[in-house]
Amino acid sequence: MMTVMSYISEFWHHFVEKLIEEIKIGDIGEEISHAIAPNILFSARIAGKNWLISDAVVATWGVMIVMFFIIWYLAKKMELVPNSKRQQLTESLVNILIKLCQTSGMTYAQAEKVVPYVGSIGIFIALTNMVTLLKIPAPSKNPAFPITLALINIVYVVYMSIRLAGIKGFWASLIYPKAALLPFKILDYLIKPISLSLRLFGNVFGAYILMEFIYIIIPIIVPGVIGLWFDLADGILQGVIFTYLSVTYIGEVLEGAHHAREAAHS
Amino acid sequence: MERGLIALGAAIAIAIAAGAAAIGIGLAAGKAFEASARQPEVAGKVQALMMTAIVFIEATAIYALVVSLLLIFAF
Repeated sequence: MMTVMSYISEFWHHFVEKLIEEIKIGDIGEEISHAIAPNILFSARIAGKNWLISDAVVATWGVMIVMFFIIWYLAKKMELVPNSKRQQLTESLVNILIKLCQTSGMTYAQAEKVVPYVGSIGIFIALTNMVTLLKIPAPSKNPAFPITLALINIVYVVYMSIRLAGIKGFWASLIYPKAALLPFKILDYLIKPISLSLRLFGNVFGAYILMEFIYIIIPIIVPGVIGLWFDLADGILQGVIFTYLSVTYIGEVLEGAHHAREAAHS
Repeated sequence: MERGLIALGAAIAIAIAAGAAAIGIGLAAGKAFEASARQPEVAGKVQALMMTAIVFIEATAIYALVVSLLLIFAF
């Protein structure tokens, strides 16, 4: 009994010593600056230009391969009468998106055209943010990634609203309440991508720095608990918000076009 | 001295923006709850509108976060 007690106390003593050694706070600023610097994995010289492949590119391609297999699994072998859980899951996911489109003022036929793009970009952003669970820095930490996504998104929004409302409807939505608002509405289309990209970048970058900070000061247990929010929930939420906002932008244009058509009839 | 001033500037930037965004989100959510308590039949629509408003309000706090991070790490 005595030997066991002394063993336990000795073990505890060593454990505390080791723990204090582990959490000794070094130069936190230095370590965080090292963590947020873009990490170039390899570079190649092709056609007189230096091509830098950073970890964000590799993570993005990895996520794209994973996403391809997930969607292939979800969408394979569809039946008219669903009798597998897989197909019911897929259908309920698509139904949620269609409901979302309908609440922002689209008809069912219009919603069906918009859903494939907004759904896949939402899943893509959620998966790229969830990469931090594996201790790989998320691609959104690199400003190029959210800016690219936002630019693609705004081009898609303009293209889709012209396709759904017609070029006349799009013009009507630009001058909808008063023609004097036209410059502001055009300015709006420049601010939307900035807002979209900064939101994604700021959220992911802030969460990443906070998680690095927590990993440095308390390396056990606590990062796992706090990471549930910052890695998992916040990442998925960003994907949902991106989808939601792109649907809302298209819905706004359609609403303006609708009001203009009603005003022309009456 | 200079690093200290930069840190103070970053702290003030994020503090004011976060406080203002918190007040804004509180006002928006409070009004939305009031509206859906008065008219429960439009609760779904009010909630969707509240989410949009909160996302936009939150964006301002995120801009301040980006600015203060730039202050700390870019200077």
